[in-house]
Amino acid sequence: MNTYVRLTYRNLRANLDFASLFFELIFPIFFIFVEGPGLGGIAKPVNLGDITVPYQLYLAAGAVTLTVINGGTNAGTQLWYDRKNGMFEQLLMGPFSRAQYIFSIILATLIIGIAGSLIVFVIALPVLGAHLQITLEGVFFVGAALFLGTILFGSFAIALSVVLRSSETFQIVSTFAFFVFLFTSSVFYPANQAPKAIQVISYGNPLTWTTDMFRAGLFNSITPTLSLEVITLPIVAAAVFGIAVLAFRRIRVQ
Amino acid sequence: MPSSEPAISTADLSKRFGDKVAVDSVNFEVKRGEVFGFLGPNGAGKTTTIEMLTTLIPPSSGAASILGFDLRSQAKKIREKIGVVQQQDSFDQGLKVETSLDIYGLIWDMPPDERRKRMTELIERFGMEEFRKKPTIDLSAGQRRRLQVGREFMHDMDLLFLDEPTVGLDPIARRSVLNFFKEKVQKEKLTIFFTTHILEEAEYLCNRIAIINYGKIVQIDSPENLKRRFGSAKAIEFKLLEGTSEQLAGEIGQVDSVTKIVQDPENGSYRVSTMKPEIIIPELYRMSDKLGLHVTSIYISETSLEDAFVSLVGNSNQENSKKSEVYSN
Repeated sequence: MNTYVRLTYRNLRANLDFASLFFELIFPIFFIFVEGPGLGGIAKPVNLGDITVPYQLYLAAGAVTLTVINGGTNAGTQLWYDRKNGMFEQLLMGPFSRAQYIFSIILATLIIGIAGSLIVFVIALPVLGAHLQITLEGVFFVGAALFLGTILFGSFAIALSVVLRSSETFQIVSTFAFFVFLFTSSVFYPANQAPKAIQVISYGNPLTWTTDMFRAGLFNSITPTLSLEVITLPIVAAAVFGIAVLAFRRIRVQ
Repeated sequence: MPSSEPAISTADLSKRFGDKVAVDSVNFEVKRGEVFGFLGPNGAGKTTTIEMLTTLIPPSSGAASILGFDLRSQAKKIREKIGVVQQQDSFDQGLKVETSLDIYGLIWDMPPDERRKRMTELIERFGMEEFRKKPTIDLSAGQRRRLQVGREFMHDMDLLFLDEPTVGLDPIARRSVLNFFKEKVQKEKLTIFFTTHILEEAEYLCNRIAIINYGKIVQIDSPENLKRRFGSAKAIEFKLLEGTSEQLAGEIGQVDSVTKIVQDPENGSYRVSTMKPEIIIPELYRMSDKLGLHVTSIYISETSLEDAFVSLVGNSNQENSKKSEVYSN
């Protein structure tokens, strides 16, 4: 069996806490079925370039991309558990290279991120269903958003878990970073209608790019910033991945 | 690998961390099918040497060949042929014992049938039946250690590195694990590189022993030769009815062939280290009679590897502190 498959399977089985995964799915579902309808009565419909969608729908699509950032955090957790439990060194003394090991973490993260997004997407279909306008181009946008978003946030979490030496600090910093990414992104509100300062931060937030691409794919909606986001997301994802690999190579064994 | 080629061969292998020299130009060879002990006090450089030989960290200078492969350029080939039981715990916290063994076999690409067979054997051999369904995170330290050692035999290897593998095991489990290693060496010609602080283990298992201190190899020889060359030959242990006599201890300590006399603070017995017990015993009775003391028990014990170890490491410490003095002067 292929080395990557073996290592990825092991990462999925050994380091994933299924209770946490369950609650990571509940989180976006809560936004889709509770927060969205709740705020739907007071929030105006949102303009997405050439179409306008109800706020509940806008939020539902954004909430699906939450699983991308959740899945990304799992990458850092996998690496962190291996370091804490001595498996990091054990695996590096096994018949693998460091590159194979880190790629297997990214692969496991991609599986979690994309599978989680698809599950949430399927659950959210009753809300999203009537307004979906799936095209071939749209499928590409959805796939690229999930893939690149998971790589970007997974790599970010890996770099964070290399730099931060205690599990408590990792949990606190990654939770804080999660909220910063989340609340300054276009998951909950359109960036162009936010105050100027928040707008600037939101336009520079990779979660905004991921969410906008995902929405563009679902609703066949082209916003003015989309083409820039489509170019920027893969470049930044590759750069953060590169940083994660460099950071990983510098890990000092225990 | 040709059988005549050593399993491990190092040439001036060194490792520095900043200014600190952890391993200082070590040279040794480990023959195929040999159990090679690597002993030394805490911080002597044992684990760093293992980390280099297992390709976990790169050497600062020098070279090594492992199973005929170059340490620097053929690291992955080396890793495919070795097994490692680390000093620190290593376990997959999300898995049960059985699954942990199975997945470890899987990542080494062992076929499913072989994994099942080995799993059954190892669970029985390492006494893991009663906790085979338990998550590894819930195991006691000793149980986790048994799993960690047993797990390494889920795959084939030519050379096994054991870094204090019996830490946390009770004496029965420890003996069972050592016997398992012995069997593997005898039946499968496995080569073992073994570090421990329990010198009886090293004596029981090892064909040859290297003693390392301050990153340098102090001596390499068989356990018997180390004891003969560096041990204090024999130790006489005796007890007095009167408990303690500083005068008697002082007088015996003055006898030429006596190298050391110490009293065990717990049971009050004296231990005399000497090369000539046949002279000391009559002398002891003569002196005790003269002082009106009564020897209630006496026996001669063989020199231990620990005596040789203490002697070698002690001498090495003295040399090292002399060098420090020279440098500081």
